[in-house]
Amino acid sequence: MTGAVLRAGAWPAVAGLSGAAVVVGGCGAAFPAAATVLLPICFTLLAAAAAFTLDEPASLVVDVTPTGPVRRTGIRAVALLAPLAAGALVLLAAALRGQALPWAAASLALAGNILLGFAVACVVRTRTGEPGAAAGTAVVLALMAPSLVPQVARFVRTFPSPGAGGPSSDTVWWTVLAVCVVAIAVSVGGRSLPPWMSTVPISRRRRSYPTVQPP
Amino acid sequence: MTAALEVSRPEAVARRATLVPLAARELRRFVLNPVFLFAVVMTLWVAWSRAGATVTEIDEVNGYPAVFLGGFGMMAAYWLSRSMRASEPVAGVTPVTRPARTAVLCAVAIVPFLCGILALLGFLRTYPLSDAAYGPFSPSARIAVLVGQIVVPALGGPLLGVALGRWVRFPGAAFVLFLVIFGWVQLVTILTISRPDSAPIAVLRLFSPFAFFTLHADAGVTAWRGSPWFFIGWQLALCAIAVLVALLRGAEGRVRTRIIRALAITGAAAVILLVLAATGGFTHAVAA
Repeated sequence: MTGAVLRAGAWPAVAGLSGAAVVVGGCGAAFPAAATVLLPICFTLLAAAAAFTLDEPASLVVDVTPTGPVRRTGIRAVALLAPLAAGALVLLAAALRGQALPWAAASLALAGNILLGFAVACVVRTRTGEPGAAAGTAVVLALMAPSLVPQVARFVRTFPSPGAGGPSSDTVWWTVLAVCVVAIAVSVGGRSLPPWMSTVPISRRRRSYPTVQPP
Repeated sequence: MTAALEVSRPEAVARRATLVPLAARELRRFVLNPVFLFAVVMTLWVAWSRAGATVTEIDEVNGYPAVFLGGFGMMAAYWLSRSMRASEPVAGVTPVTRPARTAVLCAVAIVPFLCGILALLGFLRTYPLSDAAYGPFSPSARIAVLVGQIVVPALGGPLLGVALGRWVRFPGAAFVLFLVIFGWVQLVTILTISRPDSAPIAVLRLFSPFAFFTLHADAGVTAWRGSPWFFIGWQLALCAIAVLVALLRGAEGRVRTRIIRALAITGAAAVILLVLAATGGFTHAVAA
């Protein structure tokens, strides 16, 4: 059962994105001056990889099997080890190159990025069988916002830069972790879903319950 | 000869009658794409929010239209070209060939291109060419820098998105490419800061759809080596390559042969223009 669920995962996407992240992060480790730019991009790619772990092309069949969303999501969460291992490898390479990064904060940022990608995928999975593309794009745009828009960088920082002023990235990531845990719990909870997170599209739900007029 | 013209003219009219409505429809879909709308709004917002701010060098501000209109435009065009993938078995039997439909998709790049021109005009109004933020470049080179950093990326991004959508199945390819290009530009810029006079690093810096040309240091604005005019040529060659690669998908027979031949010529031109861009202009970093 576990093997079958894992085998059906979007492994090419997860592995490909993790591989791309290793290449980008490797450049960040090799060129210390570029580390604070390339490592956030690497972590963003890992978040996108995490967003693809829940893709299920056969969702119409799988979603009606007795195996519930909690168990399916739990099994698929094993795939998060791939981006996590890739991120750990990049951080290890940076450490071996003698880079002076705040390692605890960088590790927290890595975990936060990956959990954010997974949480967004969990939420989108309640609406579609293949949330990877939409969730990945949303996560990439959100995580790159501080790099792309300087006005956002004044208030939010997603990667700990040594010696830089402004808000700490730890605060952001602890908050994100807490919100992600709640979002995952709610989205895989099935019956406790809020109305806007229903597994059945609203249009289909309306058609399923025709009103019968009394004679 | 006359007979051939008589036959070809109605054919051309009929082809135009088919392609124009298709182009109008794709144009409408692109303009209403939420990612593109977001890109336009962000370009306007960044321009508005930085209007009164002091700018020490133009590269502080002129990368945003490239990121939003070019980068986000690439994602929008990618989705646009992928959106018909599921209905390809039906669309594939219509009289309009796949290369023709691809050409129609490429035509939507006119919208971000026009937005890029408007952004350039707005930029020139805020930062006139006489501004010291442009560094030691001549007035014509200043125009070339702006066109290469604002207008051409806005055209090239969506064209690249169409090519990507035609060839790559992976649904996240657009944002991966966006991140890779963004990371590459940052990496080579940082390398250039440490070695501004190096010719190989100048080639690496210009081997990209977007490149920075100036840096503000204690001595003032420094212009890096390279020719902005030849860089525009290199960028336009990349645009042509993107269109040809997109058209190649589904092309058959003589059309395919012609596209491959054109691709080889454009590729050679691109290499020559890249070399000229790296070796032309300033041959070393020049401070204003």
